[in-house]
Amino acid sequence: MAYTPQYGPGTSTVAENRRKQMNPDNKLEKVRDVTDEDVVLILGHRAPGAAYPTAHPPLAEAGEPDCPIRKIVTPTEGAKAGDRVRYIQFADSMFNAPSQPYQRTYSYSYRFRGIDPGTLSGRQIVECRERDLEAYSKFLLETEMFDPARCSVRGATVHGHSLRLAEDGMMFDMLQRCLLTGDGNVKYVKNQIGEPLDREVNVGKPMDEGWLKAHSTIFHSLVGVPYRDDQEYVEYVQRIHSLRTKYGFMPKE
Amino acid sequence: MTEASYPQCRIVPLRMLKPETAERLLNSIVKVCGIRRMLINGPRLPATVPYGPARGKPNPHTGRRIIKVGDTEVELHVQVGQVVLEVEDKGVIEELRRACDEFFTEIPYTLQEGIFMKTKPSLVDYAKYGPDADESVIGLTDPGKKGGLVILQGLK
Repeated sequence: MAYTPQYGPGTSTVAENRRKQMNPDNKLEKVRDVTDEDVVLILGHRAPGAAYPTAHPPLAEAGEPDCPIRKIVTPTEGAKAGDRVRYIQFADSMFNAPSQPYQRTYSYSYRFRGIDPGTLSGRQIVECRERDLEAYSKFLLETEMFDPARCSVRGATVHGHSLRLAEDGMMFDMLQRCLLTGDGNVKYVKNQIGEPLDREVNVGKPMDEGWLKAHSTIFHSLVGVPYRDDQEYVEYVQRIHSLRTKYGFMPKE
Repeated sequence: MTEASYPQCRIVPLRMLKPETAERLLNSIVKVCGIRRMLINGPRLPATVPYGPARGKPNPHTGRRIIKVGDTEVELHVQVGQVVLEVEDKGVIEELRRACDEFFTEIPYTLQEGIFMKTKPSLVDYAKYGPDADESVIGLTDPGKKGGLVILQGLK
């Protein structure tokens, strides 16, 4: 029988949302439009319209050695062209942000190719070839994995994921890369490392509390679904913990 | 250094405050008589980018501005997360609670009693201020910072 991945345990909405994001067969809902140029501006790696700088000649010209692995693995577009490796980093608030660092890494690993994610408690960075990165970033910003108020693109100085929100519902940002403007839209005024942009980049309106709670991928006993309410999840984690602890003693179930 | 006999309390709103709201809150608090010392606490808003490739470049931030408390101008270096107060006696805390109840109509808040300021000079305080430090300064400012404290001169 063919293997069908389960992606994760749990019966709660949080568990269901996590599975939805991880499952590449599930098409994530597109909730906003961000243009290619906007993505390039937020990332800040190259000027919009500029050619992609390269780290090595295109693979077609490089004369690759005869290697069985290279025959199996198809290079991504960025790798084919010899692009530089660049990054995008997200900080996600613990107050019901639609994605979370570990969740992002799991989802990216199922959905994207040629990536190198780095996961920390409050931020998640992913490195890949530049033109692949722009395509992935556009997907991440436009779909339900992003909320303009609770998620933020932050290359450096990421502090804020565990702090109380500001009065207007925005996550604290020491560099104030994005602002909630009078028309209700969140606009980036600085790129991800904090350099001012030539023009504002609109990433749309923050989602309402109801939507955020329904799309949350974090358990939170005060503002969302408490972890202990999901019995299946607790049992799963306890089982993993138990097996890991007993590992040295050759566990048998 | 704080006398143990002076009670302390802190006001913690559920959301971090904008400078305008913080200004209104502080102005409603300072009208209460019997406040000895006050400390505004929260995450720092640096004037320049502290880390990363843009380190050292200017960091314009709408939260970093001058507010007016009473008749005195105070420059905010932080986004206001909590206000710690040392008062003359416990009755003042109840007056503060009444002022906060009137002020916080949209955002929930908590007012806690306890010890929230430094009670003894630390080694860093000794290095900065020496053995004869002004006791009212200890615990109010970070000894490593250049900026000092602000004395509120009067009320509107």
